[in-house]
Amino acid sequence: MSESDDTEAAPKPPPPPAGPPRPAPKHPGFITLSVDGKEVVAKADTNLITAAKTAGADIPYYCWHHRLSIAANCRMCLVESSTSPKLVPACQTALQEGMSVRTNTARVAESQRSVMEFLLLNHPVDCAICDQAGECKLEDYYQRHDFKPSRVEGSKLLRNKRKVLGPLVVLDQERCVQCTRCIRFMDEVAKESQLGMFGRGSEEYIDVFPGTQLTSNYSGNVVDLCPVGALLNRDFRFRARTWFLSTVASVCTGCSRGCNIYVDFMGQDTYRYRPRENDAINQSWMCDQGRLSYKPLNLERVLCPSVGRADDRRETTAAEALAKATVQLKAMAGTAELAVLVSPTCSNEDLLAGLTFAKDALGVRQLYVGGHPDGQADTFLMRADKNPNRKGMEWIAAALGLSLHPFTELLQTIDAGTVKALYVLGAEVPMAEAEAAAKVAKVEFVAVQAANASALTAQADVVLPAAAHVEEEGTFVQADSVIQRFRRAYPPRRETQGHWKWAVDIMREFGFPVTYASARDVFHALAGKVPELAGFDWDKEAPPLKTTRGLAPLPSAADGRPPGYREFGTPRIRGI
Amino acid sequence: MADPMDMAVGGAGPDAEEGELEAHLHTKRMLINMGPSHPAMHGTVRTRIELEGETIVRAIPEIGFLHRGFQKSCENVTWNQCLPYTDRLNYVSALMNNFGFLNAVERLAGITIPERAQYIRVIGAELHRIHDHLTCVGSIGLELGGFAPFLYAIEGRELVMDRVTELTGARLTTSFGRVGGLNRDLPEGWTARVLKTLDKCHELIGEIDTLLTANRIFVDRMQGVGIITSDDAQDFGFTGPCLRATGVPYDVRKAYPYWVYDRMDFDVPVGVNGDNFDRYLMRLEELKHSESIVRQALKDIPTGPIIVDDWRIALPPKPEVYGTIEGVIAHFKLVMEGVPVPAGEVYDCTEAANGELGWYLVSDGSGRPYKVHVRAPGFAILSGLPRMIEGRMLADLIPTFDTINMIGGEVEQ
Repeated sequence: MSESDDTEAAPKPPPPPAGPPRPAPKHPGFITLSVDGKEVVAKADTNLITAAKTAGADIPYYCWHHRLSIAANCRMCLVESSTSPKLVPACQTALQEGMSVRTNTARVAESQRSVMEFLLLNHPVDCAICDQAGECKLEDYYQRHDFKPSRVEGSKLLRNKRKVLGPLVVLDQERCVQCTRCIRFMDEVAKESQLGMFGRGSEEYIDVFPGTQLTSNYSGNVVDLCPVGALLNRDFRFRARTWFLSTVASVCTGCSRGCNIYVDFMGQDTYRYRPRENDAINQSWMCDQGRLSYKPLNLERVLCPSVGRADDRRETTAAEALAKATVQLKAMAGTAELAVLVSPTCSNEDLLAGLTFAKDALGVRQLYVGGHPDGQADTFLMRADKNPNRKGMEWIAAALGLSLHPFTELLQTIDAGTVKALYVLGAEVPMAEAEAAAKVAKVEFVAVQAANASALTAQADVVLPAAAHVEEEGTFVQADSVIQRFRRAYPPRRETQGHWKWAVDIMREFGFPVTYASARDVFHALAGKVPELAGFDWDKEAPPLKTTRGLAPLPSAADGRPPGYREFGTPRIRGI
Repeated sequence: MADPMDMAVGGAGPDAEEGELEAHLHTKRMLINMGPSHPAMHGTVRTRIELEGETIVRAIPEIGFLHRGFQKSCENVTWNQCLPYTDRLNYVSALMNNFGFLNAVERLAGITIPERAQYIRVIGAELHRIHDHLTCVGSIGLELGGFAPFLYAIEGRELVMDRVTELTGARLTTSFGRVGGLNRDLPEGWTARVLKTLDKCHELIGEIDTLLTANRIFVDRMQGVGIITSDDAQDFGFTGPCLRATGVPYDVRKAYPYWVYDRMDFDVPVGVNGDNFDRYLMRLEELKHSESIVRQALKDIPTGPIIVDDWRIALPPKPEVYGTIEGVIAHFKLVMEGVPVPAGEVYDCTEAANGELGWYLVSDGSGRPYKVHVRAPGFAILSGLPRMIEGRMLADLIPTFDTINMIGGEVEQ
């Protein structure tokens, strides 16, 4: 980056003396080198750390990151190379034809041990209270490369242990190893230079500039990047020990970008989202808004079917709720008195089943579109459309011959008094909830499938509790028409079930012989009608089933619940 | 005629014809269940016995009442956390299971434990061999009607148990030792107390010997009963006292010496007839040799560390854990992830009280076992029970079952 600018400005040094001629490449177009005696063939711009991995050599590193510039300041990746008499940092060493690299000699091991001892010189005795414990590179590398007692006599340097950098990030300066990943991320990726390195020598520390805060919408990524427990997520801090969390690959529903994520969960609670590598969509990052969008999965959920409005509201069985909805809706099916509101937050499977129900059973020809209102956007990841599956909804509606109309039109028809019954698939509305609910209250009969309680569900005569996306499997179509599978983290809470399942159940009540038993069944049966979805291989396109990261939590029960589950109550588990 | 094994005990069915209702003596075989809850069927093993009069025609041992999923449980915990499960294999000599398992893990990981730890393991193992054999010999006497030898044996056993309690902190389920050595050293003044205990045990064993070995009733019921030939015994996979009673001098401590057994002066007693009496004599002899081994080991035991000095294997000392980041990291990694045992597989065995206690371990390189299989000596021996007892009288089952010393915990795992 700035290196080239500096050399431009400075007087040019004399060209280096011509060395011995470079050998001709063994594999033209590639560079052939040897790592620990094994031949490695790689492209010229491959990093040595990556190249060595293909030969099975796991070179340790802190400061290097494949999406950031190279700093080579942690010295953990020093290896022996035939191109230099001294040890060289693997992250910064360009591949050369015929070079021989050794990563496992006594000299390299001693260097790694020394670096580890050096990094731990001033490190506080914090593992027991540190959020990073279990996924900390200091722990991993100490145990692999040092495993010797401390030789420190006297006290350690004391620094600020809880420096709040911004709304989402807090810094423990004592734990920092000064790898500068966070600074480079803010400079190069977020392009908001809000972090800097201050002081010199062992007094060096990371901080924000005086009078400013780490306010970037991408600040959460520095927590992921931090190889140690220095930068911590204020939202996640002290909430869970990482080795108890299970992880599943999913997709963020915060906006229509569809960033790939890992959902970290325990029992039937989601604890955090972390970005998952996808070169085409979000690289290694995600925005803070998306990162915090897991909260509705845990809070304000509708957990039980209920019937009756306001004071008459009572919880009931699924059978009674379905029966009531069926009687009311059947009476008005096929007439203009019945309207259907559909949310683009639902997955394709939910929409395939739900819209088939709307068309075949309710006999509607037009749908009103709900969903979250537009919000902020930026030029990096965040999109203005805060609904994860608008594209999918449009495709499916078009394929079924249903026209889509804006939410305001629905309100107009309600005002005109033509709509007597409303069936809602996903209770999100693109305007102030209370205002929308006040209008919907005028409709004689409202049946709602919703995951979260809202002003709208309060006005519903029948509420069917829907599963959140982490509780179901399915697909979303993001804004650039990429179809993405997401996996189920845990079974639906209490009485909730997927939107698709409610649609199937109510269709059965209507007398249609539908037998889909899973979201997969729905997709396989109905996606063929949608040309854009027809070619999608639902099974093959799934993200990896399980990722082991840190300590893989062990299922303690036959249903795969992780340990620690009992501390969080014993919700009724269905569907495993 | 239907297989009598499938019929209800005795008598004709409800639809029997009149002629069948006459009582014909000696025409029907009787099926009886010995166990699972029978005081002479140690543990909870059931033997289905088909009797012709009082003669056993068929005996089918049935195991599984004490199955605890040992092998699968081990796959879900770290290597050191397997120890409490191994206690419950042979609960009469838990230390030998602990140490046998650790020895196999250490062999797989290529760890040599400190010499002092090797001595302590020998002492612990031999103490528990005394414990195990005393229990066996005492209960043989008891079940053949001699209550006094049982009391003597249990008195000695209690003393040994007290010493084991002082050493490990537990009477029965010791969970003693760690990968790489031991978790604690000999307590202060323990050596002197062990020597006194051995003196007392020596005296008690002498009493038992006097009461039983030349006792006419005892000898008549033991000698020539429950015979197995050395060929049969080897075919069934017998090891330990039951094999040696047939004349085969196989003892893992001599054949493949481990720890410091090669420095100990002891003999392997061998029998001649392979009957109950020889098996009883083997145990009585071994009691004396074990006592001698403990005395030698206590005399020669060197000072020094009791566990390897490597924080990848052994937990750091507590002051290091509480006071330094290095200690706390090593502690955290060892407790949460376990000792990283290199990927590979191993079969390793030690001489337990009832024979060769073998371990087939597979590691995938993580801190938890990929596979743990235990070769319990009692399993092979129990499988030979029908061969030893069929054709004998029902009453002979009791001493035979006693002398094979089947332990439900290890057989049924």
